[in-house]
Amino acid sequence: MEQQLGSSSFQGPEAVLNMQPSSSIGIAYHPLFGSHPDLILLELDDKLLPDLLLHQRVSLRGQPDEDAVLCTQSKTYAIKFVGTSNSALLVPPSHLYQLSQNSQHQEPDTIIPDDGKLIVPIIQVAPGNMELLEVAPRLDKLKLLLSQKPYSYEEALEDMEKDDKTGLYRWPDLVDMVQASNGELENGLMALSALEIDGYWRIVDEEYMDMILRMLLQNSILNEWSLDELDEDEVVSVLVADGFPCNIARHCLHVYGSKVVDGTVGRNAWRLDARRVGVHFARAILRSGKMKMDNFMEEWLRKIPEGMNVSFSMLEGEVLTDKFGVETWVYAFRVSSLPSTPAERFAMLFRERSRWEWKDLEPYIRDLKVPGLSSEGLLLKYTRRTQPTADAEPVFSAR
Amino acid sequence: MQIQVKCSCGGEKCPEWAIIELQGVVEVQPWYEGRPLHNLQIGTLCRPSSQENYTLTIGYHELTGSKVTLKKPLVVLQKVKPTPPGTPNTSNPSSSPQVELDVVGIIRHKILFKTRPKALISS
Ligand SMILES: [Zn+2]
Repeated sequence: MEQQLGSSSFQGPEAVLNMQPSSSIGIAYHPLFGSHPDLILLELDDKLLPDLLLHQRVSLRGQPDEDAVLCTQSKTYAIKFVGTSNSALLVPPSHLYQLSQNSQHQEPDTIIPDDGKLIVPIIQVAPGNMELLEVAPRLDKLKLLLSQKPYSYEEALEDMEKDDKTGLYRWPDLVDMVQASNGELENGLMALSALEIDGYWRIVDEEYMDMILRMLLQNSILNEWSLDELDEDEVVSVLVADGFPCNIARHCLHVYGSKVVDGTVGRNAWRLDARRVGVHFARAILRSGKMKMDNFMEEWLRKIPEGMNVSFSMLEGEVLTDKFGVETWVYAFRVSSLPSTPAERFAMLFRERSRWEWKDLEPYIRDLKVPGLSSEGLLLKYTRRTQPTADAEPVFSAR
Repeated sequence: MQIQVKCSCGGEKCPEWAIIELQGVVEVQPWYEGRPLHNLQIGTLCRPSSQENYTLTIGYHELTGSKVTLKKPLVVLQKVKPTPPGTPNTSNPSSSPQVELDVVGIIRHKILFKTRPKALISS
């Protein structure tokens, strides 16, 4: 059977890519030619190659009912199949797809001529390739998952660890379920003020946070602590003595304060953040519904600790005001409770109000990040801008 | 679910693959239809001169083309199931079988035949 060619007679892609001038080679179907659905061609930027090849930190993420995304360490990409009407004949390296001695695919009536010409085999006609498009991480699901079972005062009181872990998620569970890169997932957990308790990522119930913050503020009066320089060890030990777990006491400083950069060695100091404390009490006050502006301001300022400077503008993205006649009313409308995809976000905003002034709208779209689209682009796409006169404030309504 | 993309060589020597791309579809002669394509010769690729120009002769047609560098590389991935075939799946049947994607190659160039085929007239 002189006409049969073993795999050793086949040339690899280099025979095509490094062809010598005035030479020719035969192109033939590989003995293992087929549709090979296990092969995927993925087009990607040269700058992503090191992530993929060297660091091996690239993965596909998604549940069976979701379109898979590709995640690097810091970014998320949608995957799009791009078909082609051309025939892309794929030439594999010769060490792949080697034939065993008695391969069933070797046809006795092979018609490859035995004239000494080099043969390059085609393994597949590629139907197209995958392309990547950078997208925002799908973090709404993270919020949804962690909101199922917030860590509460009641749970903290229970000494025994409960066996029922439904609604609780470890890091690998989140990686499995949330379409975001590791970096984006970490940022998302930080933005939600989540913390790891017994190996599970949790958000702490707002009422529980309220209890511990008020206890901290009371203690600061009793012990004459400066809110600009709270000693972590001292605060934590006092709160623990008051019945709060150590990790929650520390968490309280993280949520409402920022670390003071201090040269003193071996001492962690924290400064309470006026905006975060102010937002916390505004939320607590408005939980029961809308209020007249004057009443709200009176109650709010009464709750703010002595010496802390707050202003109503700190509540941007947290509250909205409405005018009814001479009265102004305040009500809670939190940007953090809105969807993070632009289409859904704008739909919710225009359901809340049909017309928005820029100064009101801006805090509610500031955090929207769509790769490849500027905030002007977002506004053009999702809103209609009207400006009655040149010096009037522009007003945005639904498209 | 997470599918890890792996490269067994660590990016050191990912083999280069090649693409020969032409317009339309390659069809076999009517008399050959239905028979296995394996080992069947499609045509002859020629580099007539030192320029990066190529011809591809398929049957009585000739295409002319050139070697182009892809704007972005294509990575060739292959789906693999790390569990050897025949091993009974002892894990939870509701969980989907573990799959990995292996980088088996990279494509940076192709020989592109953009023109419509020209009939070769025999003398
Ligand atoms: Zn490799």
